[in-house]
Amino acid sequence: MSSFSTRILSGIKRLVVVALIASGLGLLAFGPRAGEELPKDCVIVDYWEKWTGDEEAGMHQIVDDFNTTVGRKEHIYVRYLSTSSIEQKTLVAIAAGTPPDVAGLYNQDIPQYGALDSLQPLDDLAAEHGITAQMYKKVFWDECHYDGHLYGLVSSAYDVALYYNTHIFRQSASALEARGLDPQRAPRTIAELDQYAQALDRFDPSGRITLAGYLPMEPGWYLNYTCIWFGGSWWNNAEHKFTFTDPGVVNSFKWIQSYSDRLGPTAVNDFRSGFGTIDSPQNAFLTPSVAMVQQGTFFAHFIHRQNPSMDGHWAAAPFPSALPNLRDVTYCNCDVLVIPRGARHQKEAFEFIAFVNRQDEMEKLANLHCKISPLAKVSEGFLAHSNNPYIRVFDRLAASPNAHPTEPIPILPEVNDELNDFEQQLQLQQVSPEEGLRQVQVRLQQKYDQFMEDQRQRRKQHGQTAF
Amino acid sequence: MAKLHSETRALFRGLAFVSPWLVGFFAFTLVPIAMSLYYSFCDYTLLQPPLFKGLNNYRLLAHDRVFWKVVLNTTIYALMALPLGMIVALGVAMLLNLKIRGLSIYRTIIFLPSLVPTIASAVLWLWLFNSKLGLINTALRVIGVTNPPGWLTDVHWAMPALVFMSVWGIGNTVIIYLAGLQDVPRELYEAANIDGATTLRKIWHVTLPLISPVIFFNLIMGIIGTLQVFAVPYVMTQGGPARSTYFYTMYLYDNAFSYLKMGYADAMAWIQLLIILALTALAAWSGKRWVHYQGS
Repeated sequence: MSSFSTRILSGIKRLVVVALIASGLGLLAFGPRAGEELPKDCVIVDYWEKWTGDEEAGMHQIVDDFNTTVGRKEHIYVRYLSTSSIEQKTLVAIAAGTPPDVAGLYNQDIPQYGALDSLQPLDDLAAEHGITAQMYKKVFWDECHYDGHLYGLVSSAYDVALYYNTHIFRQSASALEARGLDPQRAPRTIAELDQYAQALDRFDPSGRITLAGYLPMEPGWYLNYTCIWFGGSWWNNAEHKFTFTDPGVVNSFKWIQSYSDRLGPTAVNDFRSGFGTIDSPQNAFLTPSVAMVQQGTFFAHFIHRQNPSMDGHWAAAPFPSALPNLRDVTYCNCDVLVIPRGARHQKEAFEFIAFVNRQDEMEKLANLHCKISPLAKVSEGFLAHSNNPYIRVFDRLAASPNAHPTEPIPILPEVNDELNDFEQQLQLQQVSPEEGLRQVQVRLQQKYDQFMEDQRQRRKQHGQTAF
Repeated sequence: MAKLHSETRALFRGLAFVSPWLVGFFAFTLVPIAMSLYYSFCDYTLLQPPLFKGLNNYRLLAHDRVFWKVVLNTTIYALMALPLGMIVALGVAMLLNLKIRGLSIYRTIIFLPSLVPTIASAVLWLWLFNSKLGLINTALRVIGVTNPPGWLTDVHWAMPALVFMSVWGIGNTVIIYLAGLQDVPRELYEAANIDGATTLRKIWHVTLPLISPVIFFNLIMGIIGTLQVFAVPYVMTQGGPARSTYFYTMYLYDNAFSYLKMGYADAMAWIQLLIILALTALAAWSGKRWVHYQGS
C-alpha cells in the first residue's frame, strides 16, 4: 500500500514537472509578443507622449504619416509610447541616462528643464532644417526658448478666449437690455463683463446660486495670468525680478476677489462643488451652470463631445480687457517636443520634430486636437474646416502683439503652487490682494534668487559658464 | 581547525542562499538610504551633480512657512485620526467578537473597505462629500440640517472630513484586534464573572491588559501610517482649500518631483524618519508601563 501511494505521488510529481516545462515551452513558442514589428533597417526613435484618447489617436496619425513617408526614405522609425506623468518619467529617465529620443512635455517645463541642462539645445538642428522664428507666431517661438536657447518645438498649441452661451444670452435678453447691454454680442471690457455677469446671475428662493453669469474661479485655470487683461505682469525678465505689486497685477486680483465679495465665498464654493471636469457632461458651461467661461481653443471639442445639443448655442470672443486701448489680449500655451539630454538618436529625433512642424502636418494635428496652428502661415483650408467654429478668433488672438506666453521661470511649479494657494485664500477672503501679493513677492523672489545662486555655484564648481 | 573550516563553509553556504535578498537589500534599500542622507546635505536636482551645502537644507526648512504648515497639519491629522481609528477599531472588534448570528457576514462587511484600492475609495468619498450632490449632505438635509458644510471646500471641515474617511478603512486593524481578543483565555472571564465583575470592569481589567501587545502594535503602525498620509488627500483635495489638508509627505513629494529639489526632500524625509523613530521610542518606553505580555 505504502509503495503504491509512493508510486502515485512520484507519478503526480513527474506530471506536474512535465506540465510546467511544457507550459513554459508553450509560452516561449506561442506566448505574447511585442505588438509592434520594428523595421530592421531603420533607426528606432523612441517618442514618449502624455496624451490619451482622441489626442493620442491624433498624434498617432502624424507618427504613421512620418513612418510611411520621410521615415521610410530616411530609414527612421518612430516608436510612439503614450504614458502618464510624462514629466516625472522623463525626469527619471534623463537622470538614469536612458531617456527617450523625443519627449512630449509642456511648454512650462522648458525653463525648468532647460535651466537644469537636461534638454538638448536645438538651435543648430533647427538652423540646419531652415526652421526660423519667422515661421512661428512670436508667442509660441518665445515659449520654446529659455535663456536664449531653443529647447523644443511646438506639437500642439492653444490660446484663451471667452466662451459664452448664446442661448442664455437670448433667454436673458430683457435683463441684459434693461442694463443697456446687447444680448447679441459678448462683453468687450471687464466692466461690461461684470454687468453681463450680474444680469445673468440667477438664484433660487432660498438665495442659492442656480446660474452664474461668470465666475473667475470656474475653471480658474488661467487665474495666474489674469493680470495681462489688466495691463500688468508679475515678471520682469530683463531684471529677473518678480513684480507682484505691479498695479495691474493687484487690480486683477482685486477683480477676482470682487466675485466672492458679491456672491459670498461659501455660496460660490457650494455652487462649484457640483461641477464636473472639462471632459464631463457635468462641466459648468455644459450643464449650463455658468454662462461665460474663460477657456482654451480645445474647449469646442469637449462641448461637442459632451453636449452636442449645445452646438450652435455658444460663441467665442476675445476675453475682455480692463483698459480701453488693450485689445486682443490672450494667454498662449503649448505642448512641446524636446530631445532630452543623453538621447541616442538626436538627428533622427529632430527629423521627426521638424516633420510635425511642417504646415500640412501641424494643421492636420491642430484640427484633430481642435487647436490653433502655432505657425505664422495658416492655410484658408485649415481655418475653414477647423472643428472649432471660432478658430479665426483664436488664430487672430494668438497672432496679436498682446498674446502672452508662459513666463520663462525655472521655478515655475513653485510659482504656480504659491499662486494657487494665494488665490484660494483670496477667494475664501482670508487675505487681501495687496497683503497676499506682498507675501508672494517676498517668498518667490527668495526662492528664485536661491535657485539662481545654486546654479551659479554648481557651474562654477563644475567648470561651466556661469549664467 | 577542521570544525572551524566546516563552520566557515556553512556560513558561506548560508550567505550564498540568502545572497539574492542581501544583494536586493544593499542595492535597493541600504545604499539608497545612505545616499539620501548624503543628498540631504546637498542641493540636488536629480538632473545635475549634487552640490554639497552642509546643513543649508535643514536651515532653510526651519524658515520655510509651508514646512511648518504641513508639520502642523500632519500633527493635527495624526492626533485626530490615530485615537479615533484605534478606539473605533477596538470597539468594532469587540462587537465582532460576540457570539451572534451572521457574525461572518458582519466581519466581511467591516473588512471589505480595506480591499478597495485607495484611489477608488478616494473618488467614492469625493462624491459622498460633495456638498451639493453628495449622499452625506443629502442625508443631513433630510434630517433637517438646512445648511450642511462644504466638506472638502471649507477650510474648517476638510481635515475632519479626511479623518472621518480614514475610519472607513479600519478593517485591517479590526482583524488584528479580533485575533488578539480571541486569544484572551476564557477562564479569566469566568473568574471575573465569579467575582461579580461588570462588563466594563471585565474590559478594563481583563480584556485591555491582555490585548495590550496588540494595542501597542496598532499604535506603532498607526503612528507611522498617519504621519505618512499621502494618497487620499493627494487625490481628494490636492492639499486645499488654502493648504488646510496639505500634509508632510505631499510637500516632500512636491519638492522631490515637481520642484526638483531632491536634496530638500531628502532632508524632509530624514526629519520625518527621526520624528517617527522618536515617537516609536516614546511609545515603546511608555509601553513598559501598560503593555503586558502573557507569560512575562
